[in-house]
Amino acid sequence: MNIFGSAWSPDPERQPSSRAQRLLVRALLALRSEARAHPYSASDRARAEALADRIMLELPRSVLPIGLAALFIVGVVCLMPLMRDAIAEGTEQRAVPVASVMEHGIRSQGAALSDGFEAMREVVAPFAAGDAPSSDADGSSERTPPADATAFSRS
Amino acid sequence: MLDPKTERLTIERARRGDRDAIAELIHAYQRPLEAFLFRMCGKHELAEDLAQEAFVRVIKSLDRFDDQYRFSTWLFTIGKRLLVNAQQKMKPTADSEVVEYRAGDARTPLAEVESVERGERIANLVEIAIGALGSPQREIVLLFHQQGWSVQRIAAELDMPEGTIKSHLFRARRRMLFAIEQSGAPNPGEVLR
Repeated sequence: MNIFGSAWSPDPERQPSSRAQRLLVRALLALRSEARAHPYSASDRARAEALADRIMLELPRSVLPIGLAALFIVGVVCLMPLMRDAIAEGTEQRAVPVASVMEHGIRSQGAALSDGFEAMREVVAPFAAGDAPSSDADGSSERTPPADATAFSRS
Repeated sequence: MLDPKTERLTIERARRGDRDAIAELIHAYQRPLEAFLFRMCGKHELAEDLAQEAFVRVIKSLDRFDDQYRFSTWLFTIGKRLLVNAQQKMKPTADSEVVEYRAGDARTPLAEVESVERGERIANLVEIAIGALGSPQREIVLLFHQQGWSVQRIAAELDMPEGTIKSHLFRARRRMLFAIEQSGAPNPGEVLR
């Protein structure tokens, strides 16, 4: 029970003293000054900063998605040229027909083989020249054995 | 306290995650909110804790804040709800503590006031005056005299007609006057210097 609850009387004849009125005014003024935030109070500012830090550490849910979305957009924008190049490369590779690739391979293999044949032909040409039927039909020209062949005497 | 325009701009910055804007909002309203909660519950530590919790909740949900209302109204509403929740968990309540304190004959208000400094005398005087009030008069007096809210704003916040608010204020002042008179408060000259 509040003991001051019964202090107030609806009796209009019972009026508070002027002393009490002056004290009440003083009390209300003191009450008002309690709520004034002092703009240059260092301690109040430090407390506010500390609480702001704590709130920022907990990272407001409202701010987090916006930050993530912004980060995603920046990432996409930065990766855009790379992605474009990659896509273009892929498209170009797909445009070359498989048959062309195979033909190219066969042609290069064929060219290599031809080179090989040519090389072999050059090597065996001197030997093959002796066996080949001479164009000199009258036998006037003397056949000369290859240098290597002269090393072995004919039996 | 921030003026409405500055308040709106600061809230916009705070919504974007500006840490300095958050600190500005806290700096502007921490002391008024703590003073209000302290006078409602009579406990400094509880008032500080509740004020901090109110700020954390309010700033975390700034996106839901409707700009047509004042930030301080929203903040005080959340602070008051937190206080009600805390008081429901704790016994005895602030009111009964005040009664016990005042009823203790070993520490009469007069003896106490005479033994302390002038600042403490004034604090006691405020305590006596506010302690005389119950709900909702205490809240109305604090919002009007401590926070400087208008009758219109209090009426909107408490969802009461303006006439009822004025009537509560009138009765509350009379109740406080008689409480001061009965408490044997010191000579006004000592307090009103």
